[in-house]
Parts: sequence; structure tokens; C-alpha cells
Amino acid sequence: MITVAPQVNQANLGMKLDLDNLTNEQKALEIRDLDLYYGEKQALSKVNMNIPKGQVTAFIGPSGCGKSTLLRCINRMNDLVDICRIEGEIILHGQNIYDKSVDVAALRRNVGMVFQRPNPFPKSIYENVVYGLRLQGIKEKRKLDEVVEQSLRGAALWDEVKDRLHDSAFGLSGGQQQRLVIARSIAIEPEVLLLDEPTSALDPISTLVIEELINDLKNKFTVVIVTHNMQQAARVSDQTAFMYMGELIEYSDTNTLFTTPTKKKTEDYITGRYG
Amino acid sequence: MEHNINKHISGRFNQELENVRNHVLSMGGLVEQQLSSALDAVSSNDAELAQKVRQNDYKVNAMEVNIDEECTRIIARRQPAASDLRLVIAIAKTIADLERIGDEAKRIAKVALDSFTKDQQDLLVNIENMGRQVLKMLHDVLDAFARMDVQCAFEVHKEDSKVDREYEAITRQIMTYMMEDPRSIPKIMDLVWSVRSLERIGDRCQNIAEYIIYFVNGKDIRHISQEDIEKSL
Repeated sequence: MITVAPQVNQANLGMKLDLDNLTNEQKALEIRDLDLYYGEKQALSKVNMNIPKGQVTAFIGPSGCGKSTLLRCINRMNDLVDICRIEGEIILHGQNIYDKSVDVAALRRNVGMVFQRPNPFPKSIYENVVYGLRLQGIKEKRKLDEVVEQSLRGAALWDEVKDRLHDSAFGLSGGQQQRLVIARSIAIEPEVLLLDEPTSALDPISTLVIEELINDLKNKFTVVIVTHNMQQAARVSDQTAFMYMGELIEYSDTNTLFTTPTKKKTEDYITGRYG
Repeated sequence: MEHNINKHISGRFNQELENVRNHVLSMGGLVEQQLSSALDAVSSNDAELAQKVRQNDYKVNAMEVNIDEECTRIIARRQPAASDLRLVIAIAKTIADLERIGDEAKRIAKVALDSFTKDQQDLLVNIENMGRQVLKMLHDVLDAFARMDVQCAFEVHKEDSKVDREYEAITRQIMTYMMEDPRSIPKIMDLVWSVRSLERIGDRCQNIAEYIIYFVNGKDIRHISQEDIEKSL
């Protein structure tokens, strides 16, 4: 008779992070009492969460629940919206990113972002990848070549484009363009990578390639992804946050959230029920 | 948390879950009937009824195969999550246990094909009592399944230890009998097997009770003590 040693189960449980009490080494970002208003309308209310380092955290929820808004707060993209007002804190390296002393450009170098539709620049593949470095004033060709190869490999695109690096980026397929954009983001070596529905404009196979890539990326970066596709969140993320009408309803490790959620709203959403 | 399977946005998904659930209930009904008939056949030494039980087992098997296929289809097409996923998993496991209960009923029915002496009839009476106890367990667990009633499932779960005690008592009695009359052993072995079958049915009812609790509460209570289960509920 085979007896299952209780340690087996324990070992699995051991991998689960205590999200409320992460140590500073485990923590990439800390969101504290975040409120956000677009004019009069409150879009986020009292969001509190810790985002662990080197893991994939997914935000899910119905349209308009505030998940993209929350994602955009993390690199202050909402600064670009005039009527937007933010209260609360997002702490990166012990500093509130909304502090007046923070250099927003430096923050965005550290927290990269990829959008729903691939948005390569109207330049060659090579120039797309090195764009950030050129802005930083790096001119040395050997260095640039190295970063191009490294980033394209990191974005699982190198083998497909290595012979046509100087062709226009617009010649690539949608999935390839999206991976190029990811390569462009990781070329400047951010710590955190924000992905805002990165596969919603892609076919299923390109989607799988990106999902596979996300899994590789977490070895080097902290990834935060917003997705409408629940199965995608279930496949790629380590933690999942369910948001509803601007509130964080439930935040736990993905296995738990998709098998035994504790809140009824979460249950209804992920099983496709109406409340 | 309440789990209403009828509130999906997709009406067809509601229908599919409702259908598979109903099929499990009819399979349960058939298995219960098989066990009941097998016990009747044994107590009244009715060879004809016993044959009928043995012949009907294929129906139970066919239902298992069909329901399994439905579960696979739901997983492939609907990618169920949370309570829906737990329901499909609980169903897939429940029907495997029901099918095995069907097999045990078939084995018990075999006893009715033998003829027993007056002394041996006494042993049969004890088996019949244990049989009724197990049949009630099966009935109750199916009832708990139909209503997805955790409390009722837990009662069945506790019941199994009584069946285990009964099993030990009867086994002891049979062993004494065999020692006194070794020539009876070949025939008595069929009785031993059927007592064993009843004990196994008790275990399988206990398994089903565990699946019900898993579905409703999302808690896996296998291999933990009764007290711990009670605490966690």
C-alpha cells in the first residue's frame, strides 16, 4: 500500500505566500489605501495589496471594475488624465511613488508597460528595441547589439527575426509585434512589467506563446497582468486579484481563487453566474 | 456559500450541469435498487432475483461510462471553475464509487445461488442486518447528494465506523463456525466475501460523503479524524 506522506501536501502549502505579511525581500510593491477619482466619480476605493517580487500577479474583473486603472497607477500613467485625482500610496523600494520628489520618467523606466494593441514604433525591429537605450544616450554599437539579442531572446522572438533585424517592425505579425514591444520594455531592464490585456488582440497560438513568455519573464521581473480572459489568469498567474466596482474583493493565490474562492462575488464572476 | 447551479449566464451550461446531476441521481437509484434486491435475494434465497441483479449490473456500468463522458465534455467545453469545477470532480469520483458498489451488489447476490443448512441460515440473518445498515447508508448518502447537504453527509461519514464494528463481529462469528466445521469452508467463503463487500460499500458511501463536503465547502476531509472534520465544518 502506498501511503501519502503528509509532507507532500505541506510542501505545496509552503509555497503559498502569506500575501498580507510579505517580508521586504518578498515584496515588489505595496499599495496602501488607494483611492482614485475621475472628476466626481470614484474609480478605486481603499485598495490595499502587496504584490510579491518575481511572480505573476493577475487582476481580473468585469469591464469598468478599475483593474486597468489600478495597473496604470503603478507607473503613474494616470497622471496624463487631467481630471484624475489619487489618494493613498504605492510603495516601491520603501518610497511612495506619488511623492513629489519622485522622477516620473525614472519610475517608468523601472516599471515598464505593454498595452492591449501592439504599438511598435515606425522603425526597424532593431531600432524599436534600442529606443530606450538611445534615449538614455547609449551609443556604443557593441552594447546595443548585445541588448537587442538579449531582449529579443528574452521575449522569445530572436530566432524568428534575427535575419531581418533592420526590416520594419510593421512587417511582423500581431503576436510578433507584441513580443517586440515586450522586448522593447525589457531592454531597459525594469523591475516591474505591467501588461494591460497583452493578448486580447492576438490569436490563440500567439496568445500561448506570450503566456509561455510571461512564465519565463517572472524569473527576472515582477509581472502584473490585467486580463479579461479568466482562463488566462488561471494559467499564467501565481496570485489573482478579483476587483469589482473599484474595490478589491478577493486577493489570493491563483489555485485557491479558482478552486475555492471565499467571496460570493468572486465565485459568481469566475463561474459565469449572475449575482 | 450557497451553490445554485441554475444561475449561470449561459442557460445551456445550467442545463448540462442539471442533466449530469440528474443522471448521477438515477444511477444512484439504480445502484440502491441493485443492492436492495441482492439483499432480498439472499434473505429469501431467491436464485431468480439474484440472477436478475447479476444481469442488471451492465446498466450501472453503462451509466458510469456515459456520465464520465458528460463530465469530460463539460470540462473541455466549459472550463468550469470554483464550485462548478468541484461539482464535476465530485461527480466523476462519486460515479466511480457507485459503480464499484454495483459490483459488490453483484457479488452479494451470488450468495443467494447457494443453498445453506439450518445452522448457516443464522449467519445469513446477521449478514442481512448488516446489509440493511449499509443500504441505509447508501440511501442517506444519495439523499445528501441530491440536496447537497453537508450535515447529512457527515452523519453518513460517522456511520461507517458502526459498519466496521459489525463487520468484525460477523467475521469473528464466521471464523468460529469454520473452525467447528472445516468442511463448510468452501461454501462459507462466499459469505465471507459478501460480508467483506458490505464493509467496502460502507467505505464507498463514506467516500461519497467526502465528495459532497468537498463540493459544498471546498474542503478536502479525506484521511483526517472525525473530530477534526467536525471542527472544520
